[in-house]
Amino acid sequence: MSDGCGAPADTPMVTSAGNQAVVQGTVTKDGTPVSPGYARLLNSGGDFVAEVPLGTDGGFQFFAAPGDWTLRVLAPGGIRAERPVSAAIGEISKLEVAV
Amino acid sequence: MSRSDALVDADWVEAHLGDPGIVVVEVDEDTSAYDKGHIRGAVKVDWKKDLQDPVRRDFVDRAGFEKLLSERGISNDDTVILYGGNNNWFAAYAYWYFKLYGHQNVKLLDGGRKKWELDSRELVTEVPARAATNYTATEQDASIRAFRDEVVSAIGSKNLIDVRSPDEFAGRLLAPAHLPQEQAQRGGHVPSARNIPWSKAAEEDGTFKSDDALRDLYAGAGVDFGIDTIAYCRIGERSAHTWFVFHELLDQPNVKNYDGSWTEYGSLVGVPIELGDGS
Repeated sequence: MSDGCGAPADTPMVTSAGNQAVVQGTVTKDGTPVSPGYARLLNSGGDFVAEVPLGTDGGFQFFAAPGDWTLRVLAPGGIRAERPVSAAIGEISKLEVAV
Repeated sequence: MSRSDALVDADWVEAHLGDPGIVVVEVDEDTSAYDKGHIRGAVKVDWKKDLQDPVRRDFVDRAGFEKLLSERGISNDDTVILYGGNNNWFAAYAYWYFKLYGHQNVKLLDGGRKKWELDSRELVTEVPARAATNYTATEQDASIRAFRDEVVSAIGSKNLIDVRSPDEFAGRLLAPAHLPQEQAQRGGHVPSARNIPWSKAAEEDGTFKSDDALRDLYAGAGVDFGIDTIAYCRIGERSAHTWFVFHELLDQPNVKNYDGSWTEYGSLVGVPIELGDGS
């Protein structure tokens, strides 16, 4: 893992959540991955919590606290999208976002 | 220091690319971002490999900083424009670092890499060739760097600003939510610290909020602008972003970044730790 706070794009997606609450998915437009772009996680109060750049495959991944979140996508050309998502320990919550 | 001295926007950078005496530097933890595309003429600094000591936990020393800047072709009298990913976290950290070693002409690109990308501005893969220089750094400026004992003695007396996310502050997470949560140290925060996440100082595109909005934000969160301030996070780069806001944009004196931050404090034996969301 990274020992900093950076969020490298194209970080491999975990396939097992272990004891983490994982939120992961991809962002596409007309079936094509959106990249560059950014995925932001907002808490239930609408406050920003974390952000990652989308991978070349449009992918993103967060290790969240359990609970309800909003995923917000930003990309060039004014692309914006939001999706609600719930995270739970030991689960991978998957989101496929078509913008 | 004020906003016009410390910050430039993307239009300004586009208009001054290639100007003599202007050096654009991309600072990232994930340096593959630079390799995939960067602002024309920008040189690369790797936050970890170039700026951290390879053995002990500390920065490269003065000689190491001189060597780095000399190799990158940066002169003492160049104006350095820093930008990077993660909403300029590592660029702000590098800015603080340049100031620590006495480089005066340094500015941040407002919005960093994200704003540049969202604007669909030009990125190139061509790596510039710059002639080496003979850079001379000063001794570290102790007035902008806090160490752990100063943080402990600041409990209840100075503004302690914990700029991590609320879940990290409360002790529910040990790292930001985009990273695995596998650190071993204790969770929580320094007693009397106020949780004002760095992100509240930034717009969604990564640019800084206006000076008035920033003053309202911190005053509303209980910061006393009349006393000294120490900012911290997990490893000191998000708090460099907030240090930049206080010291460079709002022109507050006596503001320090505690770069040991929670990975140090939360591993110390015997220091007080507070849990929960705070008051």
